[in-house]
Amino acid sequence: MDRTLTNFIRSLRMADVRISTAETLDAMNTVELVGYKNREFLRDSLAMVLPKTADEKETFYNCFDEFFAFEDVSGERGEEAHAEGEEHGDEQTGEGGEGGGSGGERQPGEPAGGKRKKSKKKKPNNNLFEEEEEEDLGPGAMTEATSELGELLMGDSKVELTMRMAAAGEAINVREIQIFTQKGLYARRIMDEMGLADLNREISDLRESPAVPARRLGQELKRRRDWLREQVRDYVERQFLLNADVTGKKLREELLRKVKLSNVEHRNFRLIQEIVYKMAKKLTTMHSRRKKVYKRGLLNVPRTLRHNMSYDGAIFDLHWKSVKIDRPKVFAICDVSGSVANYARFMLMFLYSLDEVMPKVRSFAFSSDLAEVTDLFNRNKIEDAIAKVLRDYSGGSTDYGQAFVDFRKLCMDDVDNRTTIIILGDARNNYGDPHAEILKEMYDRSKRVIWLNPEARLSWNTGDSEMRRYGAYSHQVEECNSLMHLERVVGNLLRQVT
Amino acid sequence: MADIEQMAASVASLKEHFENHRYICSDQIATAVYLAYHLRKPILIEGPPGVGKTELAKTTSEMFELPLIRLQCYEGLDEAKAIYEWKYGKQLLYTQVLKEALDEVLAGAKGFAQSVNRLHEFGDIFFSEEFLEPRPLLKALKEEDGCVLLIDEVDKSDHEFESLLLEILSDFQVSIPEIGTVKANREPPMVFLTSNNTREISDALKRRCLHLYIPFPDVELEQRIIHARVPEVPEELRRQLVAFIHELRDLDLKKVPAISETIDWARTLLLLHTESLDADLVRDTLNVILKFQEDIENVDSELNALAAKIK
Repeated sequence: MDRTLTNFIRSLRMADVRISTAETLDAMNTVELVGYKNREFLRDSLAMVLPKTADEKETFYNCFDEFFAFEDVSGERGEEAHAEGEEHGDEQTGEGGEGGGSGGERQPGEPAGGKRKKSKKKKPNNNLFEEEEEEDLGPGAMTEATSELGELLMGDSKVELTMRMAAAGEAINVREIQIFTQKGLYARRIMDEMGLADLNREISDLRESPAVPARRLGQELKRRRDWLREQVRDYVERQFLLNADVTGKKLREELLRKVKLSNVEHRNFRLIQEIVYKMAKKLTTMHSRRKKVYKRGLLNVPRTLRHNMSYDGAIFDLHWKSVKIDRPKVFAICDVSGSVANYARFMLMFLYSLDEVMPKVRSFAFSSDLAEVTDLFNRNKIEDAIAKVLRDYSGGSTDYGQAFVDFRKLCMDDVDNRTTIIILGDARNNYGDPHAEILKEMYDRSKRVIWLNPEARLSWNTGDSEMRRYGAYSHQVEECNSLMHLERVVGNLLRQVT
Repeated sequence: MADIEQMAASVASLKEHFENHRYICSDQIATAVYLAYHLRKPILIEGPPGVGKTELAKTTSEMFELPLIRLQCYEGLDEAKAIYEWKYGKQLLYTQVLKEALDEVLAGAKGFAQSVNRLHEFGDIFFSEEFLEPRPLLKALKEEDGCVLLIDEVDKSDHEFESLLLEILSDFQVSIPEIGTVKANREPPMVFLTSNNTREISDALKRRCLHLYIPFPDVELEQRIIHARVPEVPEELRRQLVAFIHELRDLDLKKVPAISETIDWARTLLLLHTESLDADLVRDTLNVILKFQEDIENVDSELNALAAKIK
């Protein structure tokens, strides 16, 4: 019983639902109270105990349906349910819950069995395809199978076979399957574990045998072996979906975070987008708290008097002056010119996500002329927004000087001592006028200027890069070309504003 | 005294009793109360405003015939207002009165050390339960036969307050430094927390609670709710108005009408002796269900199409 539950929780955790040990214990108490009898009831109950957000609830329902629809990994429960279903099936049809619960677990086995019987009956008469080279032996007596697996296959015992399959799966640790390309390998291993080699030998022996009944058995065994292979493949597939799909995803995510943004392949864009969003969300929940700093020693006189009215004006309860620390006001300026084209996409993506989770972000994009894109971000979906920004602003040759002039015209007045300015760009100015004095003005007025450069530190200040000049007027200069860098920089940014 | 044990024997029986108290609920809600009662765990209820989160706690207290203790959360709520406070005035007054008696106590004492010893013998009477003003949380713990504790809109409170709740939620006890730990009496309170999701509740708090999400009800359930709350509304009108509300919820509105608005609207229509809905009537009463001028204007332009749909 408990094993089933822990397996279920395991698969939930795999699916990114955070479940603590305390909640596992709660779930066990719940199951004790509720029982496995009524599937709906169990689902509703566990849905209150395990997932704790609306998103997680959805994942939970999917997982629950998937998990409790299949036979349990150990196979034992499958058999139990089978027996129970048969015993109680008639008496308790009225209740419905019992039948529903155990029936759900049996289902996947039965249709497959049914299909098998059908195909078995049909085949001898109508084997047009697949068995062209096979001789038609017609129905008739067969010899007994000798290999262990052959006996099992001929024995028509579905439950035994399933148990055997599950046991083999356990033996080779099928639950450790990680990526989908391993599916074939694991299926193969299970078959081997179940005694495929013996069976193959028997089949080839039988097929070369002169006696008709033996050859007939050979054909039949071959057919059943192929059927078994299908079953094993399905079984591995299910294990993969339950256990590994997410692990594989995590693995990919982990890799993607470290890879240089310019090297990310196109097909991974979607995933990157998800990671970026998650990251931005994590950062803001971590720092969304408005903090208060109390200045001990500075008495907040009105507040203290007000609070001590009820004590006859005797000053008991002291209140200090405090300062509320607000979340940073961020101005983000993103270079989208040709030289950083590979990065611009991700920078914009991040900018967009940041905008979604943080209240006060104003975004600007430029290659030569600078324009505010905050509105555009607010009105469009992320793909459209990025595409539009790239369409409207990218392509020109970089001119940081012009961009700074535009910035001064546009919103220098809005920059105050609580503003953080982030500039994303490689500082390659095509030997134009860098207008560093404007950056100096920004530096003087704002709280912080952070320059994120996607180029490796070594290539800064080479050629037309103005990094040295700009760097002088930035509080912080960072190399930033992978998601990990980005996360670190923004994490620091949010922390340091206190 | 209501037989709680019997009422909470099964989900079905709970549901039935809720219905007797005119609270029509889904299986999920009844299951949550069932689990909360049997596992002795608080329920954290989330959902859009006006779906009956607070009402659930109220009805539960009514049904179990337990007193309802309510703590409304707001920014700046602290332990002095939520758990306990010392009766400073009383303490002051008593010190004044006892000032005169002090000489008698100290009479004959030699030296400073002896005086202090004498004073110690008095014990900490100024910091005893006599001088303690219990606030909702402490009051709930001290309730003899259990009670229903409703901590309303916990998302409005500060982070610090959330941490303060952890002790009471997991162990049903609070620690008062001067006195010690106060544990719940025989029956721990049934705790309901509600949240409108204006911010994320911390994981630590969530871990200690059952989590119930109440969504907007489906058409059938909402009709039953209206029937239970405003039984005088004729069936045809009920069908129409619920269908209309459901159409509204599909629109892109600033604030979609909740169940409480549906009920208000049903009462309004009843007051106007309405038999069946038409576009003009809806236009006149739209301000009952929509609370933003922008929304009203938006819906106004589509009223005819909407009215035709529900016919």
